[in-house]
Amino acid sequence: MTTTQRGNKTSVTVGNTEVELFSGGSGPALLFLHGAGGNTGWQAYHEELSKSHTVYVPSQPGFNGTDRPDWVYTINDVCHFNLDMVQKLGLDQYILMGSSMGGWIAAEMAAMCSHNLKALILVDAAGVKPENTEIAEIFMVSAETRLKQRFHDSAQVANYDQYTRELTPEEQIAEHSNREMASRLCWRPYLHNLSLPNYLTKVLTPTLIVWGKQDAIIPVECAEIYQQAIPNSTLKIIDNCGHSPAVEKPQEFVRTVTEFLSKLV
Amino acid sequence: MSAEVFWFSEQPYGHVTSQDLEPYESGRMHFPNTNFDPEKAHVLYNNYHDQYALADEVGFDGIMSNEHHSAYWCMKPSVNIDAAVLTKVTKRAKIAMLGNVIAVNDPVKMAEEIAMLDCISGGRIISGFVRGTAVETLHAGISPTENRDRFEEAHDLIVKCWTDPGPFRWEGRYFPHRMVNPWVVPMQKPHPPVWFPGTGSPESVIWAAKHQYPYMNLGSLLDLTKQLKDIYFETAHEVGFEPGPQHFGYLMRCLVADTDEEAQEIGRTFLWTEDHRNRGPVEFNDPPGYQSREALRIKMSRPVIGTGTVGRRMSYEDLQEAHNIVVGSPETVIKKLRYVRETLDPGYILIYGNEGNMPHEAVMRSIELLGTKVIPALKED
Repeated sequence: MTTTQRGNKTSVTVGNTEVELFSGGSGPALLFLHGAGGNTGWQAYHEELSKSHTVYVPSQPGFNGTDRPDWVYTINDVCHFNLDMVQKLGLDQYILMGSSMGGWIAAEMAAMCSHNLKALILVDAAGVKPENTEIAEIFMVSAETRLKQRFHDSAQVANYDQYTRELTPEEQIAEHSNREMASRLCWRPYLHNLSLPNYLTKVLTPTLIVWGKQDAIIPVECAEIYQQAIPNSTLKIIDNCGHSPAVEKPQEFVRTVTEFLSKLV
Repeated sequence: MSAEVFWFSEQPYGHVTSQDLEPYESGRMHFPNTNFDPEKAHVLYNNYHDQYALADEVGFDGIMSNEHHSAYWCMKPSVNIDAAVLTKVTKRAKIAMLGNVIAVNDPVKMAEEIAMLDCISGGRIISGFVRGTAVETLHAGISPTENRDRFEEAHDLIVKCWTDPGPFRWEGRYFPHRMVNPWVVPMQKPHPPVWFPGTGSPESVIWAAKHQYPYMNLGSLLDLTKQLKDIYFETAHEVGFEPGPQHFGYLMRCLVADTDEEAQEIGRTFLWTEDHRNRGPVEFNDPPGYQSREALRIKMSRPVIGTGTVGRRMSYEDLQEAHNIVVGSPETVIKKLRYVRETLDPGYILIYGNEGNMPHEAVMRSIELLGTKVIPALKED
């Protein structure tokens, strides 16, 4: 949650729904999709990536206090919303990166429409069902449990106190709406789509899969399933790292991503 | 109007103690069912059915039942099964089911089962529909964000099953059916009375009033209940009907014994495992999306209204003061119930009559005294 002031906060309107949008940098477009916890704004890793790319960080519909469009019930609906957003933003040959639930959305979007995608980056992505392990429960658990699940070692999280401090009333309302929307989208089937690996076999987009080895929410087995499903994919596992490598291992994360991006034709 | 008096029991699994519950993160979802002994449950179920039969015999106007899931304090995962028992162990009492958790069940099957019960009982069914506690929805594997919409659709479909000739088509979001033609329809026309309960949420009161359904306030305090009744009446006037006592019921925990001392002693069991019953993270009791954003706004605009007794720490004496618990000799209880009636003028007084490991004999005696002394005194007023 180390939001910098450098990301430009605007909004983008899709249909009748306006969602907030942080953006910054220059170069090829990179669209980042946040996870079930909502849009935490312009982060240090966005800033790093914006040195070589134009980074867009929109809120997903229904998150961060925005009203849910009355037709958005499922991850599939969110994907269509986002594909419309891509058009509105005029993104061409863009890089799509998603973390956790956002990774699931990104994978589904790639399966729907990959001709406009330059690259796909999945970070500890939900969306596929592990066979030998389980995706951890994130809804029917307390806030304390959720926080424990998220990081492998809180000592390596900069500004960890930002995650434990008491929220302002406005932040509480936003957090409540984020959890409501995530529940709506991800409850059943729980954080996965059984058909998704089959869709992905036809996605030829260069893909980087980044995962925290000790991810206690989406097990690393899911990373392997993604790698097997997506033909042109590379898997990078970061050791001593939980569900949020961009936060817990920011340097290694950014290095991994920029190396991958630099090799793109 | 003289209030109708209903008997009610949660049918608790009374062998559980606070010590059993202490180690677990919550009293419901986490408390393992290895603590359940079917042999003991067999005895308890049959005791509870004997209590039903006696309540019917001594003159209760009705018997209310309910259902909960993953709850040691309510061994009824199906109100329709309990109502089926009631149709056979009672002869004349109304059978108020409060109710079916229609949001998480197949509404067509619900409509069929309730219609069947109405036919078997000779039209004695009052069909309550409930959203349930959030745990009911979680236990059913359904997103709490869908509960309200599913409830509304299920309600509309059930009423249609009862009132529109089949076959018909229903293409709802949650319960799509292309052919609906339930053979069994209710005996009562146009359909059995519908009740709607709540524990203090104004949204529930408003929904009930908008549909002109009686609202049963469960587990609240007398002063808060008066405010909820005001909301019901305000809404009724907006809708355009004149509400009366027949639209409002009040549930209280009540035990009668031969002496005040004895009743006070036995009545303490009403606080059985009180700290654990709904203990658990807010993610179980009020997960995001279970209440609408609108409901949260209503709540904030009426800050006095809480959520019944949930979350409050009140002593046995405080709860008696608030008429949430009423215990005593017949004379004492008659006095207290008269006060409730004068204060609230409810059409229905719902007697939550046993709890935990209250001795079966003491509960039977309470039913007898209620039926032979208390109810007749109230009816004579």
